[in-house]
Amino acid sequence: MKVKQITATLLSAAMLVSMVACSGGSTASSVTGAAASEAASSAAPSAAAGTEAPKKITIWAWDDTFNVKAANEAKAVYAETNPNVTVDVVSMAQNDIVAKLNTAFESGNVDGMPNIVLIEDYRIQNYLKSYPGALSDLSDITKADKFMNYKLKTMTEDGKVYGVPFDSGVANVFYRTDLIEQAGYKTSDMESLTWDKFIEIGKAVKAKTGKAMISVDPSDLGLIRMMMQSAGKWYVDSDGKADIADNAALKEALNIYKKMQTEGITITASGWDAGVAAVNESKVATSVNGCWYASSIKKATDQSGKWAVAAFPKMSNVSGSVNASNCGGASWYVIDKVAGKDDAKDFLSKTFASNTDLLDSLCKDISLVSTYKDAASGKNVNAPDTFFSNQTVYKSFAEWTNNIPAVNYGTSTYDIESKMTEAVQNVIKGTSVDVALKNAQTEVEGIISAAG
Amino acid sequence: MKENHAQEAETASLSQSRSGILWETKPPKVIRHKLDKKLNRWGWKFVALSIVLISIFVFIPMIGALIMSFQTGKGVNIHFGGLTNYQRLLTDQTVRKALGNTIIYLIIQVPIMIIFAMIISVILNDKKLKGRSFFRIAIFLPCITSLVSYSLIMKNIFSNDGLFNQMISHLGLSPILWTTDSFWAKALIIIAITWRWTGYNMIFFLSGMQNIEPSIYEAADIDGANVVQKFTYMTVPLLKPIVLFTSITSTIGTLQLFDEVQNITQGGPANGTVTISQYIYNLCFKYTPNFGYACAVAFIVVILIGVLSMIQMKVGGKDNQ
Repeated sequence: MKVKQITATLLSAAMLVSMVACSGGSTASSVTGAAASEAASSAAPSAAAGTEAPKKITIWAWDDTFNVKAANEAKAVYAETNPNVTVDVVSMAQNDIVAKLNTAFESGNVDGMPNIVLIEDYRIQNYLKSYPGALSDLSDITKADKFMNYKLKTMTEDGKVYGVPFDSGVANVFYRTDLIEQAGYKTSDMESLTWDKFIEIGKAVKAKTGKAMISVDPSDLGLIRMMMQSAGKWYVDSDGKADIADNAALKEALNIYKKMQTEGITITASGWDAGVAAVNESKVATSVNGCWYASSIKKATDQSGKWAVAAFPKMSNVSGSVNASNCGGASWYVIDKVAGKDDAKDFLSKTFASNTDLLDSLCKDISLVSTYKDAASGKNVNAPDTFFSNQTVYKSFAEWTNNIPAVNYGTSTYDIESKMTEAVQNVIKGTSVDVALKNAQTEVEGIISAAG
Repeated sequence: MKENHAQEAETASLSQSRSGILWETKPPKVIRHKLDKKLNRWGWKFVALSIVLISIFVFIPMIGALIMSFQTGKGVNIHFGGLTNYQRLLTDQTVRKALGNTIIYLIIQVPIMIIFAMIISVILNDKKLKGRSFFRIAIFLPCITSLVSYSLIMKNIFSNDGLFNQMISHLGLSPILWTTDSFWAKALIIIAITWRWTGYNMIFFLSGMQNIEPSIYEAADIDGANVVQKFTYMTVPLLKPIVLFTSITSTIGTLQLFDEVQNITQGGPANGTVTISQYIYNLCFKYTPNFGYACAVAFIVVILIGVLSMIQMKVGGKDNQ
């Protein structure tokens, strides 16, 4: 009886595992489902077009106020010269895009995948290293001398460029001029900031206006990443080895992050939407973020004229830290095995890889800061923005972009970040920075060696 | 998911009790005829199809996963790595954290929910209660809501400036940081899953109580037993098989907890609410994909569920065999 009992238990355990497997299977089937519906939708226009064989390319992007809008404008521009190519822009959550890319590349089955996909710079190294050949070589349409170096570096592998750079993630301080002034500071105080000064102003803001200086998300270490990159450092060194325990920039970044919380100038917001809400509902005086955050800040139209931007604060105790950094940013890639590769390349080469007029109008419409060097002379780039107190913000962004230190993002940014969030919470609860980083070093080494 | 386990376990317990009866009564000795053999052959033919299907869809993938759990690297660089993944498991703090979180959910949430379900079903089993079916439906309703939509509603209500905090700030209390403090985030997950699953378990207790002969309660009334005594000395022992069943299915459900955490806190703050299933998902689809390591973590869940189910059967199931 006992044996029977144990076998029964093991069998039921086995069934449960199979259930997990089943739920994995359903994701795959939903992908093919999407592919089927896409095929159906592509069949419709082909019937309408009649004789001339129409071509179709699909683009995936994730932010309706930003990169999806950009893709749609590019589509309109491209349609003027290439009316027989239908461009289908699909908006999808970034997490879903990543999950689908992972599944498709791992299985080698690209059914239902788009021709052009937007991939975040932090992730691209992994795709290039783990799945060589999955993405098309775009060296012939992305002219290396036309784009900024720090951006190109992330998408170059063995001397070949695999993407078309889209947006700069140049980091900066968005701040509320009215609140800073109420706290007794002027806009000139915000120039060439250091983090010490930032905290000092934050304390005054808190005391005089009762508002927090900045919102932090315990699960998102964007701030720490930006601080590190301002000193040319990352979680990994230039060879891709874990660089945590002896990373002076990371150590100082952690200290600053902790100090901001102990000084009480922060509020916590969980997730992207809560962070945007804190800004739009006037709960914070600043947001330190990539320039792409401008489109979210501008959603609060009633705050027009109250915002301004300043260069990213540097860390005064770390040598090599400059008033410039980067946060996020993404680029366009072509999936090699999806039919229509040449059309996709043609689309990119006529839009994001060369069209300065398009890039300039995107600057106005979605506050795009391009990494295309010639875009810097555009009309809109040099125009003042009424929302940001008539500052010529895009010109400033473009200038700061030039100073961003290039770093190797490695292949596992988000795995490492997940470990680091735990380390950061331990530091905030009282563990010494050195101990926390030493523990994190071991774990991060584990991630990197497992990936090799 | 839980419904499936329910059916499985139900059929399992049915077949167990049936075989139990056969075993106790000792079947008379039968002489085997040719017809028997023929019938047996047909039996095997009928079973063959499901054996083939279950092998293709269950056993082969399982073996594949086991093999994969010994592989390291990613993408095209994948290679046999021996026990590397299992070694990494031992030092991985996130696995420890995820296991810890899962066990906290388990030992706090499952008992609370079972006790709640039992109390509610005792109240609702009272034939004199007016509007009985209305209450039953009301308490069962959370169960038919979609996991994702109810999670999003919970997230909304309990977000830092959500409905709950607005209410308590009107009472003059300071807001609770439900989603950004790791203690309260765990509490929030427990509240959410208790709300969702109590009604589901209540149904089992109600049906169990309907099977208890009313005359024994009448006898107890005559003997002068009060409500509490009737509950603790009669209802609970008589419902023991149901308690066992609901606690096993709830345990399994909790070990596989994913949707709620993914949608309410995304595992945050700083992996404060992450569960094992979610960590497996993250390893495959959120981070740089590492399917080999994810499979190794998945086998921990297999071992855990096996061990826990065995313990529960030992503790609760003796009378049932």
